Amino acid sequence: MTTAPGSWHLDSALVRRYVDAATDAVTAASVEAHLLRCAECRRSIAAGTVDSASVARRSAIWTDVVDRLDAPRVGLLERVLRRIGVRDGDARLLAATPSLQLSWLASLLLALGFAVAAARGRDTAGALFLLVAPLLPVAGVAAAYGADVDPAYELSMAAPYRATRLLLLRSVSVLVASLGLAGAAALALPASGWSQAAWLLPALGLSVTTLALSTRLSPALAAAGVSLTWVSVVVRLLQLDRTADIAGASTQLSFLVLIVAATAVLAVRRDQFDTRSAA
Amino acid sequence: MDAYADPRTDAELLAAVADGDRDAMSVLYGRHAPWLVLRLSRRCADPSIVDETVQDTFLAVWRSAGKYTGQGEVAAWMWGIGVRRLIDTLRRQPVATVVLTEPTRTEISAEEQVLLGVEYGDLAGALHTLSPELHAVVQATVLDGLTTREASRLLGIPPGTVKTRMMRARAALREELV
Repeated sequence: MTTAPGSWHLDSALVRRYVDAATDAVTAASVEAHLLRCAECRRSIAAGTVDSASVARRSAIWTDVVDRLDAPRVGLLERVLRRIGVRDGDARLLAATPSLQLSWLASLLLALGFAVAAARGRDTAGALFLLVAPLLPVAGVAAAYGADVDPAYELSMAAPYRATRLLLLRSVSVLVASLGLAGAAALALPASGWSQAAWLLPALGLSVTTLALSTRLSPALAAAGVSLTWVSVVVRLLQLDRTADIAGASTQLSFLVLIVAATAVLAVRRDQFDTRSAA
Repeated sequence: MDAYADPRTDAELLAAVADGDRDAMSVLYGRHAPWLVLRLSRRCADPSIVDETVQDTFLAVWRSAGKYTGQGEVAAWMWGIGVRRLIDTLRRQPVATVVLTEPTRTEISAEEQVLLGVEYGDLAGALHTLSPELHAVVQATVLDGLTTREASRLLGIPPGTVKTRMMRARAALREELV
């Protein structure tokens, strides 16, 4: 620099040429370096771009900026879902699932932790874990959708969006999340081999049954009924000291049949979710 | 020019923005959007990418206004954000749609020669002797203040090429100036 800053400014001809991109690269670089430290010349540039197209373009950008300032910040789960290719609308609906919230998953982990600790403490082949693990996805599915738990339930009933689709989307995500956590917890069980996985089919069977029953009852009621039945069966087996039966082939097979039957019921009665009024 | 009627300086406006003042934000936008749009348009020929970059820049200004240290020009700070946002946006685009602006004219009028002589001394003349490729690298690294890696993303050439071109440009300039 041979002159002190401030003694050189853009004249109107140079402003015009820069705005029209008619300057050569070196002149443009010179102008740009100057603009960074001269408010006066930035003002000249602004005054040189008041044609309607430029003004409209800037106000359109500003409108978008304001929109994005007003938009609520997107949560972690929603960002992850979008990143792996879930559509924006579906990601929002999934992220709003009550039983996919951090607090829910944390309490799930806590319950699993207690079950695992109990199984490690006493040598009962993880009967308590077997009791608890299938109940968690059932509760999660029941709390994924419905008038009792979903703050946006009324909105979703009025929205042009299939309730069945929303229900299945959320149920599958909840199942994946809770079964994944339970599976991870099962690895910490003292017993090994098949008995570690004995809870999986009951968990799926009870969850699908809950969904099938939800076509007639409220999800909470369906889940409560299914859970009570499961608990009484397991407690009875515990009294008879026959909990190993759950891991047996016949029990596992009957849960497989239950899954198929409940899925069939769900498929036939799925329209009930759309037509049924708020339960 | 409403934005310039406001008596506050850019730094004061930025402090107000850090406190969540939306009006101060709009004044800053009024002052800085015009030159920012133009300068980014000289780096990228696709108007929709430029628009998105300007948006991202002002959102970043809104969110990080508190990080401005008060040293240096607000405009320079904004340009630092803007050119990096441009690189981020370009990286998200499929390569085929990215069109970089070529220097439009290499001729120079007598009047500009005088202006530039005052501003840069002999450097201006020396810069004119550089090929467009070398000039683009000098512009990205020296004038836009980008790192080698950032310049390579902006120009779409490997970092090693940026370095060798910068070396060649430096040698050419030294030859011209000595």
